Amino acid sequence: MFWDGFLVTASVSALSIAGSFLIGVIVAFGAVSRRPFLRKAARGYIGLFRNIPFIVQVFFFYFGLPEIGVYIDAFTTGTMALSIAVGAYAADVLRSGIENVDTGVIEAAEVSGLSRFKIYRRIILPIALRVSLRPLGSVFINLVLTTSILSTITLNELTGNAKIVASDTFRPFEVYFFLLLFYCALTYLLSLLINLWHRHLNRFMRGAE
Amino acid sequence: MRNQGFNWHDPILWAQGLGVSLGVFAASMILGTVIGIAIALVRVYRVPVAAPLLLTISEFLKNSPVLVQLFLVFFGVPVLLQVNITPAEAAIFTLTGNTAAFIAVIAISAMDAIDRGQLDAARSFGHSERSILRKIIAPQALVVAMPALIGLAVNQLQVTSLISAIGVIDLTKVGQILNQRTWQPFIVWTVIGVTYFILSRLLAAAGGRLETRLRRHMDWAGL
Repeated sequence: MFWDGFLVTASVSALSIAGSFLIGVIVAFGAVSRRPFLRKAARGYIGLFRNIPFIVQVFFFYFGLPEIGVYIDAFTTGTMALSIAVGAYAADVLRSGIENVDTGVIEAAEVSGLSRFKIYRRIILPIALRVSLRPLGSVFINLVLTTSILSTITLNELTGNAKIVASDTFRPFEVYFFLLLFYCALTYLLSLLINLWHRHLNRFMRGAE
Repeated sequence: MRNQGFNWHDPILWAQGLGVSLGVFAASMILGTVIGIAIALVRVYRVPVAAPLLLTISEFLKNSPVLVQLFLVFFGVPVLLQVNITPAEAAIFTLTGNTAAFIAVIAISAMDAIDRGQLDAARSFGHSERSILRKIIAPQALVVAMPALIGLAVNQLQVTSLISAIGVIDLTKVGQILNQRTWQPFIVWTVIGVTYFILSRLLAAAGGRLETRLRRHMDWAGL
């Protein structure tokens, strides 16, 4: 039962980390765009999803979508809501990373005839990532912790299953205390992974210099 | 019998939920700040035993979901200690601990940012440790910490929504009640979402104004 919950938490986390990273990159480039409309839309997105509690967003999607005839399960709703919400945090972190990229580098890339897309993907993003990786790491660690809220929309991930176990065994303290330690171990593992990525990126960038 | 549609009582319910959310937020923020600063001082002055112990606890608080912490306090502690605890008490207790853990980190790094030379200078002028803390460290650390504090406050306001899960009738719980009764999720959750959004923005704006005032007070005014 615990293992089942862990698998759900792990897959929701992995999918949402990928989803929020993708949304984050797109919105971050929007937020630094020269076009006022794009910039305003992207910054509005960041402000909106950061200033409304995640649980309210999840309820909005979970109860609201069936009203317009869209029926999707708790897993998909949860993953989508997490990607959208955490995407706003990721975008804000990446935006400040992009703003720190030396404009000379971008001009040089433009002069050498690289396409717009290639400049974004191959030049700006890797340089911005190097600065943003640590804060981005804590955004993703927060994402893993936030998956626990999905238990409120009847998704039986770690916390949802723990609730069932706690009421079956009448030992809530032990169950939740163990759960707390488990989440700590999980986030610790994730921070180790991010450190590895950071080191890899640093070595890779140094090789290029 | 289910009463579909909204009625005149709903705005009152909304206002009550708003009051509960704000009350829990204010209580946990104030208590959390006091405790957090105490933890930071214990750390900065390197009090043996207490410093590493408190820091370990705050690491656990920062690296586990607040929802699980709430369940642990509300469902677990009463069974373990054979005491009764109300949802509101559990909520304030948990959120206070959580806020304190984050405040401690902010306070420690703000105090670290102060030039050591100032402290040596103050000591050689015969300031007492208490007076150094109050007149030299505190005002400067507050200015350095202000942006992080505003961010934390906005974040903790969002976190209060989780207390609905242990049965506190806060703004989010009011949303759930109205949602179940009226079956109009879009309107209900939009109103609740907008309420939180406006609160967060007001909080950030108030924090920003306080920050500019503090900065003006701190700025080098010339000779």
